[in-house]
Amino acid sequence: MSDSAKSTRIPLVERVLEANDQLAETVRADLERRGIFAVDIIGAPGSGKTALLEATLRALKGRRHPAVLVGDLATRRDGDRLARWCDQVVQISTGQGCHLEAGQVRDALAQVDLSRVDLLLIENVGNLICPVGFDLGQAAKVGVFAVTDGDDKAAKHPYLVQAADVLLLNKIDLLPYVPFDRSVFEADVRLLNPTVPILDVSSTTGAGLDAWVEWLERGAATPR
Amino acid sequence: MLVVHEFSIADALAAQILRRAPAGRRVREVEIRVGALRGLEPEAMKMCWEAVTHDTALAGSVLVMDMRPWSLACPACGRVWESPVPFAECSCGEVSPRPTAGDELDLVSMTVDDDDDEVGATAGGAPTTGVEAEAR
Repeated sequence: MSDSAKSTRIPLVERVLEANDQLAETVRADLERRGIFAVDIIGAPGSGKTALLEATLRALKGRRHPAVLVGDLATRRDGDRLARWCDQVVQISTGQGCHLEAGQVRDALAQVDLSRVDLLLIENVGNLICPVGFDLGQAAKVGVFAVTDGDDKAAKHPYLVQAADVLLLNKIDLLPYVPFDRSVFEADVRLLNPTVPILDVSSTTGAGLDAWVEWLERGAATPR
Repeated sequence: MLVVHEFSIADALAAQILRRAPAGRRVREVEIRVGALRGLEPEAMKMCWEAVTHDTALAGSVLVMDMRPWSLACPACGRVWESPVPFAECSCGEVSPRPTAGDELDLVSMTVDDDDDEVGATAGGAPTTGVEAEAR
């Protein structure tokens, strides 16, 4: 066969992640029907997502009925930590996958008694890039940055900043000790996303957790 | 296996093309459109495409990427221009033009060899549905 063999160009109109997107829509419809507010929590490894969730679950005790899905490449450590604060925790081991996909969320939800749940917290795999492009069926995306990561992280990850419904600036108690210029961070965020709320939080001191929990409660109370 | 951003997308794309390709027709080229927000690196994407297709019916096919740029709008002079990066100074000296970009990740086309060549091991399959073919 030569390169001059006749070929035909077939135009296609579909998204590359169509299969994931369709599964995500199924998950979203089911969660909405049940009145469950689902958030996808995305942040770098070490940004403090799990500690923040522990503090969040503590604060929600008696106020909401959360379930937690937690994605990790390996180990069940995060799931074990969170299970101390919540009786419905499912660990998703992604193996070599650097992000969660909608099918994994659907399968994990089959292990949860959803009739007892009104808030679903999904801790994505530690990664600021890949998770953003994979719809999980969530109602909102939460971006987590830590002051220890440097003030250029927002500028370097525009997709997360643009896609997030709320940004948490974590480890705010360490601000006096690290070279993090909050005004630089905020200016970059504002260029990319003029309206996203930025909440300063510390799961160590509890600073700012009220505002974050209130944001979750508002979302959970909003009819869908 | 590589754990990079581009790998899972190349993997999903290959599966999608294998489902879409008319039976027995060699796929020469796959074209996608990528918004700047996706942050995909064309070179990494091509490497991943080769890795995920090398032992499949898509081996040797070429991935063509239409990379959509950032749009920068200057709040001082009103100039709007395209840029490969989200943060850049305006020619008027303004340091904070506002960046916007799309997050599209769309399949645009695939180019397949016509029916009567030697690759047609499984020729006679049903034509792809939902698409219109145009002869080149």
